[in-house]
Amino acid sequence: MRYKSQKVAREYLLAALPLFLLQVIFGILGSIKYIWGYDPLLNIIPFNVARAIHINLLVFWLLLALMGATYYMVAEEIKTEIYSVKLARLQLAILLASGVTAIVGYLFQWSFGLPFLEQPTVIKLAIVVAALIFLANVALTMFTNHHTLTRTSATLLGGMVMLSVMFLFGIPFVPNLSTQYYFWWWVIHLWVEGAWELIAASLVGWALIKMTGVSRQRIEGWVFAEVCLVLLTGIIGTGHHYYWIGTPHYWLWWGAIFSAAEPIPIMMMLVDTVRYMLKARTLSIVNTLGLAWLGASAFVHFMGAGVWGFGQTLPQINRWTHGTQITASHGHFAFWGAYGMLAIALMYIILPEISGHRTEQGSKLGFIAFVSLNFSMIFLVMALLIAGIVQVYLQRIMGMDFLEVQNYLRIWFEVRLVTGCIFFVGTVLVLWDLFRLARPLAAGERAPEPEPVAVPVA
Amino acid sequence: MARLWLRLCRAVTLVTDTDLPVGPTCAIMPTTRTILWTTTLLSAFVFLGMSVDSLHKMGARTHADQISAQVVEGKRLWQHYDCNDCHTILGIGGYYAPDVTKSYEIRGDAWLRQFLREPGKMYSTGRQMPNFHLTDAQVGSLVAYLQWVSAVDTNGWPPAPEGVAREQSPGTKIFLAQHCNTCHSIQGSGGTLAPDLTHEGSRQTKDWILVQINDPRSHKPDSIMPSFKQLPDSDKVELADYLASLK
Repeated sequence: MRYKSQKVAREYLLAALPLFLLQVIFGILGSIKYIWGYDPLLNIIPFNVARAIHINLLVFWLLLALMGATYYMVAEEIKTEIYSVKLARLQLAILLASGVTAIVGYLFQWSFGLPFLEQPTVIKLAIVVAALIFLANVALTMFTNHHTLTRTSATLLGGMVMLSVMFLFGIPFVPNLSTQYYFWWWVIHLWVEGAWELIAASLVGWALIKMTGVSRQRIEGWVFAEVCLVLLTGIIGTGHHYYWIGTPHYWLWWGAIFSAAEPIPIMMMLVDTVRYMLKARTLSIVNTLGLAWLGASAFVHFMGAGVWGFGQTLPQINRWTHGTQITASHGHFAFWGAYGMLAIALMYIILPEISGHRTEQGSKLGFIAFVSLNFSMIFLVMALLIAGIVQVYLQRIMGMDFLEVQNYLRIWFEVRLVTGCIFFVGTVLVLWDLFRLARPLAAGERAPEPEPVAVPVA
Repeated sequence: MARLWLRLCRAVTLVTDTDLPVGPTCAIMPTTRTILWTTTLLSAFVFLGMSVDSLHKMGARTHADQISAQVVEGKRLWQHYDCNDCHTILGIGGYYAPDVTKSYEIRGDAWLRQFLREPGKMYSTGRQMPNFHLTDAQVGSLVAYLQWVSAVDTNGWPPAPEGVAREQSPGTKIFLAQHCNTCHSIQGSGGTLAPDLTHEGSRQTKDWILVQINDPRSHKPDSIMPSFKQLPDSDKVELADYLASLK
């Protein structure tokens, strides 16, 4: 950490962590409801409330983590203090207040009723205000005093602008459900396969430049190519959500072709991350755990978003799998790999620097958390995938009634609950480890400020 | 203000102007930046063009002219009670409860009204829907909304099943296809809203059952069972045969 104002990232990251834990708790509640014969909480926290809270917390903690990492990264990239720490704190306060209000509101049926966008309109407007403060703060940091922009930070700003603009399409109430969903996908799809991919690409690029000693020019060249391909495939690839919602038939072609190419940039990201990571082994001090999270994130990102997504993106397959547990499997795998693991990787990279340049490879506890979180998520995703395949066969192909089929899936929902509980343990461990790393060191304990890595001219 | 304006101008020009100073830590090079912007703008342009066309065509595909005030009210209620986080509609939403896209077609008007009033009675065991204590007007709006959704042209989704779940007598198939088991139960499987039919054959004759299927109120004036007289006569006979065989 070279600039004092970077410390504000710590507040964002530490605020995100308890929300992650709460998300897992509501996830477990939801999975218990899947196997309960009779739900004793039916009239207190019904399934829809548990799910709304689960998925809202997901977006909430990831955004806080990515925004915190952005503040940290931008200061370092632009080589300046953040324009205003006060604004950053105000933004965090608005986000926390609106997020907590929304989640408490769901318990009292105060909901807009669109999946992921359940926040009532007043709260959405508060989020827009926070986003504007964020964009202004980041842009003013970048463009004050003739600082030169790096490609990674420009990409990051682009991603954040896209993120904020797309959110606007989720605010109005549209009487026609098909039209409502048409624009709903502009938020959901163009976030996860557009804006968030840009943000992820630039943050991964920044972390790799920082940690591996590979030249900036090479890594930024890759970030650029990745971004180009993400936008080329991802924008029109939205069409793979326009097969069955009242949209014209030609989307079956356009959506299939462009979304089928979506895994390509993700695969590039995986190949390059691993390639550059291997070079890092030549450095004397390595944040092994941080790098492990980064590399594993690239791998699970590719598996969950790339392979699992490609698996049902063609209309011939999607016709049968649309709206089943297979989608739930894909959702869990992709979000965890692409964004959840990335957020944790960034925490492992940033928090030790803020607290005083701890130079450790990673604690034993941290590695146990890494293994338990990732293995339990893989088994959870497999259980949901098998449940989904059985569901497609019995319900869609054989024509059995929905609720009758759910009884046949019970064993896989039980496996999911067990893996969810292991994931919970992993979450507690990772929180413990990260809060330990975030504790500021006394002046005597601190490692000296490292010299900036000399950039070899490629 | 002037300074802010200058900053804003610089911000905009930095991402659109290709004439940037080139240095060791320079921003995106002109050539690469051109590729990036061309790709992005071209994709966005094609996508926006297709969106304009789609939204235009969706008017007819979704029968937008039939979106009455009642249908809109139904959608508001659907969102107010956050139904979409348990149920999918057009395949989107929570996977905890059945997809409702075609529920108006499958279940019919009378069944939906009965279910929405007292969900717990239709399925008394297993996964439950909370009772939202809807008024008759609210139930009417929700049913109108579901009726509108069921007519949306979804390019043939969901596909018709290709097989049958298990070997069944014709009467059993009709019994299940008409969802009689959501109210009636046979040998412990089914709903409790209506009488148990496990020994129906020893209580009533086939003819009595046929009359009941056609006009339930002829036997009991305040019966809430919907009439099934719209079924083909052969189906009604098969169903009555099956029920009369349950001794």
